[in-house]
Amino acid sequence: MAPLLRRVRSYFAPVNRAEYHPTLFDPTQNGSFALGSPPPPWVDLGWIAGFTRHCGTKIDPVRSGAPAVTQLQTRTEIEATLSFAFESWGKLQMALSGGTQQMNLLKAASGAVAAGSGATAIAATPLLTGSTAVISQVGATAAAAFSTGELVAVDIDNTGQTGFVGSGVSGAYLKNALTDVDYIRRITLNVGRIASISEGALTLESPLIAGVPGALMKLSAAVGFCDREGSSFFQEWSALFVGQGQQGERVIWHYPRLQAMSGIAETIAQAAGGYEKARLSATFRALPVKDPVDGETVVCFRSYIAG
Amino acid sequence: MQNAKDTFYEMLRGRLAALNPGRTIVLRGVVRPGVLVEENELVSTVVLPDCFRVNWTQAAGDPDGDLATIALQCEIEYETAGTALNGGMDRGRALSAMDAELQATINTDTQTALKSNYKGLTTGLAVEPMATSIWWGQLVFGKVEIKDDRLARTGTVMVMSYEKTSEL
Repeated sequence: MAPLLRRVRSYFAPVNRAEYHPTLFDPTQNGSFALGSPPPPWVDLGWIAGFTRHCGTKIDPVRSGAPAVTQLQTRTEIEATLSFAFESWGKLQMALSGGTQQMNLLKAASGAVAAGSGATAIAATPLLTGSTAVISQVGATAAAAFSTGELVAVDIDNTGQTGFVGSGVSGAYLKNALTDVDYIRRITLNVGRIASISEGALTLESPLIAGVPGALMKLSAAVGFCDREGSSFFQEWSALFVGQGQQGERVIWHYPRLQAMSGIAETIAQAAGGYEKARLSATFRALPVKDPVDGETVVCFRSYIAG
Repeated sequence: MQNAKDTFYEMLRGRLAALNPGRTIVLRGVVRPGVLVEENELVSTVVLPDCFRVNWTQAAGDPDGDLATIALQCEIEYETAGTALNGGMDRGRALSAMDAELQATINTDTQTALKSNYKGLTTGLAVEPMATSIWWGQLVFGKVEIKDDRLARTGTVMVMSYEKTSEL
């Protein structure tokens, strides 16, 4: 029986860019996870619309003889792309669909000069000992400057680093050192929303993607996110897509390395009441990994898990 | 879903009362703004004139977002015989006035309202503001109906809300 799929759910996991190390999903151990709670480090990105895969692999004949007869075939190019639109807007969805640096709009300092992706920020707040992935200890005085529902970006100061930057997930690549002390907090994907504030501790709605914060990390309040058409960095992520069949079966598409191959765009869908829903849409190209089982170079895995 | 319905009614009642404080009804011995939700009142064959009667008629869900979205069709019926002083010859004008009030209440620049949970009111507790807002579309006027000496119309508007599982 062909799987009957109504919709597809998407999941994210980081790629260690510096070491070219993606997150691999093992369908034998985790193929039946509950859709709402993927196994770590996978992060639920919600439902997607218009999930379409494109195979660009070229298979050419190898002919010989007169007249020429195809004796065998060879794969001359391996290529896979896919396109879809996220149903939900969030930091990760915006960053991945945008495909490039995704700036956190840090709260601006009073009188700062205007800037398109965020003016000079208010000085960041150091994290104190005892902070965890969901609780940021900042002390009672500093906590008074934050409010419930506010976004926060948590990362280290920029002290002239180059290369991939951003804790947990690389959010940018710095070819040259920058002087903005807050730059890494501007591009970090290590963000959260404050659920409650009590006794100098900010409790976040969900764990930070980088886990327990390091000792040098600081926290900046943000008012939102911003992406820019035309910047240079390529986001890369390990992706998982799950289609749940009606007989308990499941189709899992796993792309260990995906990069956006489209610019920043939305697709518009009709919504109830005469409204239009803006979906984050994108097209991605799959990049290769070596399957450790036999050393083959592959760009995606499709698994069928029987119900 | 009930929180969305209650919130929309509260918005409607508050805005209509502010717009025309003189439009009131007496219901179960209480004078109140001239809007009621039929399903919240005693079943009756008597149709009150010169007030807005809210009916929730259809519902549809969209489960694909972070939070499921529910769309509720709200039909607002109203009718008038005009005034006895004018022998009902002003019934068209009275209906136009009600059209204008409804239009001004619903088709505003801000078509959202913070969703609240009113359940606590039944036990003396406070109204509980929620984390999301309801929103609604444009009001669509139906044709005028003639009901004996009254002119009647139904305005329809779609009301949308994000629904948490905890609201079920």
